Amino acid sequence: MATTALTPAATTYRSSLYEWVTTTDHKKIGILYLVNSFVFFFIGGILALGVRSQLAVPENKLIPPELYNQLFTLHASLMLFLFIIPILAGFANYVVPLQIGAPDMAFPRINALSFWMLPLAGIIMLAGFLTPNGAAAEGWTSYSPLAQRAYSGTGTDLWVVAVTLIGTSSILGSINFLVTIFKMRAPGMTMFRLPILVWTALVTSVLVLMATPVLTSALIMLFIDRNYGGHFFDPATGGNAVLWQNIFWFYSHPAVYIMILIAMGIVSEVLPVFSRKPLFGYKAFVFATAGIGALGFSVWAHHMFTTGTVYLPFFSFMTFLIAVPTGVKMFNWIATLFRGQLRFSTPLLFALGFLTMFLIGGINGAFSAAVPVDFALHDTYWVVAHLHYVLFGGSVFGVMAGVYYWFPKMTGRMLNETLGKIHFVLMFIGFNVTFFPMHILGLEGMPRRIAMYASSSGWGGLNLLATVGSIVIAASMLPFLWNVLVSLRSGEVAGDDPWEGNTLEWATSSPPPPYNFDHLPEIRSERPVFDARHGRTSSHGTRA
Amino acid sequence: MRVKHPRNALVVGGVFVLVAIIYYLVSHDAGGTTTLAALGIAMGLAAYALVVGTSDDL
Amino acid sequence: MSASTALTTHAPAIAEGHRAGISNPILGMILFICSEVMFFAGLFAAYFNVRATAPVWPPSAAEVGEHLAERFDLHAEPWLAAILTIVLVSSSFTCQLGVWAIRRDDRRGLIRAIGVTMVMGIAFLIGQVYDYSQLGFGLSDGTFGTTFFTLTGFHGAHVFGGVIMLGVVLFRAMGGQFSARHHDAVEAASIYWHFVDVVWICLFSLLYIIPTK
Repeated sequence: MATTALTPAATTYRSSLYEWVTTTDHKKIGILYLVNSFVFFFIGGILALGVRSQLAVPENKLIPPELYNQLFTLHASLMLFLFIIPILAGFANYVVPLQIGAPDMAFPRINALSFWMLPLAGIIMLAGFLTPNGAAAEGWTSYSPLAQRAYSGTGTDLWVVAVTLIGTSSILGSINFLVTIFKMRAPGMTMFRLPILVWTALVTSVLVLMATPVLTSALIMLFIDRNYGGHFFDPATGGNAVLWQNIFWFYSHPAVYIMILIAMGIVSEVLPVFSRKPLFGYKAFVFATAGIGALGFSVWAHHMFTTGTVYLPFFSFMTFLIAVPTGVKMFNWIATLFRGQLRFSTPLLFALGFLTMFLIGGINGAFSAAVPVDFALHDTYWVVAHLHYVLFGGSVFGVMAGVYYWFPKMTGRMLNETLGKIHFVLMFIGFNVTFFPMHILGLEGMPRRIAMYASSSGWGGLNLLATVGSIVIAASMLPFLWNVLVSLRSGEVAGDDPWEGNTLEWATSSPPPPYNFDHLPEIRSERPVFDARHGRTSSHGTRA
Repeated sequence: MRVKHPRNALVVGGVFVLVAIIYYLVSHDAGGTTTLAALGIAMGLAAYALVVGTSDDL
Repeated sequence: MSASTALTTHAPAIAEGHRAGISNPILGMILFICSEVMFFAGLFAAYFNVRATAPVWPPSAAEVGEHLAERFDLHAEPWLAAILTIVLVSSSFTCQLGVWAIRRDDRRGLIRAIGVTMVMGIAFLIGQVYDYSQLGFGLSDGTFGTTFFTLTGFHGAHVFGGVIMLGVVLFRAMGGQFSARHHDAVEAASIYWHFVDVVWICLFSLLYIIPTK
């Protein structure tokens, strides 16, 4: 399909730095989100390598415990708050207006504000390392009394401020997405013709809107305790340390769905295109996503089973219930692939990696939903295995699928397939070598968040294996980075629709002009570009 | 999304209020009940506004 | 009608958000209010939790001393808070009068109503600060002090934000920027102001009216 941009020079025009810094164009902002998130991904990854170096051998004197605690705290905080949540928001920012046929987001300037709060927050959080007592060191969950003034320094205050900023950025973004999705769809784009990626962005935005303010309230209460003599979480004066946990997890459980749903949306976009079949069970996907979002609010205390203050049956039951809509999605993805004409390009490989790794993560989570099992495995490496299988094996693999799928649209260039496959293989192997042994370590009783373990524990072998795996993960980033840098300059030119896609972003040039579309194909299903390509519209035979 | 009457969107909020009531009856946890009940109010309001705010064509 | 002409005729309207239903800025404000509901929910949840786990609430003389226990008894002297409540609720009425005014293109009426609302909002804030000075206990006086000041303090901060918002609306109204057809900012600011009022009614009832154990 020939490019149809009214400004043919659009694909070769290079924007200046000033334009990037002052842009309100959702496409540029989306790319800013992606680049910023990857920067924090690499910093967080280096912190993880620090953690794995310390744990490689028993009784290691490499990193003192006080520093080790900062490493794992910032590793998690950067990965969750500055990588995974923003990068999924960034994909949504780029893709959603295109997929609904809109010219931009509803509030472009607030969109820009949302982005620029993030690098600022990241710098504030990392600035903790420069303070006398170092960065925040209580774990990303920041439980009291360890997070109180008596046991922690300025680094924790900086962490609180940074997370509050990030939360505000997210909330503003969620309002933007909801108004955009409900109010700015092109004619013919009814709610049940929305691509699943848009639906996942919708549900994620509802979760962000409702849950994140609760975290903000908890952070403010912690700040008041630490700096204004407050007594919220201080048991000595009638406060309640478990209160923090309750309010924190009321946000942080929906947060994990915020961290996965859009990645599931990406997978739901990639699978139909690369199996050349429609997505199986579209409506079931919509209702399952909504169900996961809703149920996600009622399970928070399953992170607190061992506190002795939780009504166990309610939370255990609700947690098992979430497996149902998740299972529906899993079966529907498999049914989409079944009997398809599969093209094993890199986006599909990462999507298949998502399906298999997220399945494992979901299953080991279901184990923990059983209260007696959790009593044994809480705060052990079993949980570390679970969270990495869903967040890395799930979300990160989904993100990578999205990168390889939409890089041509964003840049007008294809990524090299061979390098992509090398990236996938190294990452897949490295990931499993790192995190699978942690199931066993957890079952053997190794606690999480410890800087050192005895040689008599017998945990040395598996820890060393995990460290080797982490180095393989790091190595897998090299072909990826090389691929991106080289392809930007001299990758194969992509054209409008290199993958023979289904959704509206493939109906415009790569990259799209600033106003997105010169004209839109007729929208009569959830696959308008597929319909146009196969003459299934009422204007078949005529050129609009 | 064809909802016959926008007020039906309030059902969304009602679901969470129901969960809050059940939760209070089984756990007597004041804090959790408060956040769940507020969630019902906020969800109902958001659902209503989004449905009312959307044009009839789409 | 082909898709391309549909888009070109609708595009400016879509971009401005003036399709049927609620306009984009007002819808955005309503969703923002939803997030604020959840913010206060966290603070209220903390209050209810602390209150439920305390043996006596407000804390008794045995726990905090005769002097503080007496100061904690807000139910004994709700008068200033009651006046503040009347002021704020009335200001919601005047704000709505302003909205009704601009809907019928009465620009002078809008300016008057918003001006009065702002004055009442500022009066509320001054009254709140005065009340704080008379209370006799502070944020660090146990869990009661902490929860009281956090709840009322953040409410006051939201009133302050609302006053700023009303100030911007007033300034723009005086510049003639609003008409019956275009006054989204007035509607949005008034929705926010009503929300702030509702939160205060909940707070006032909870802290001053509803019997404690």
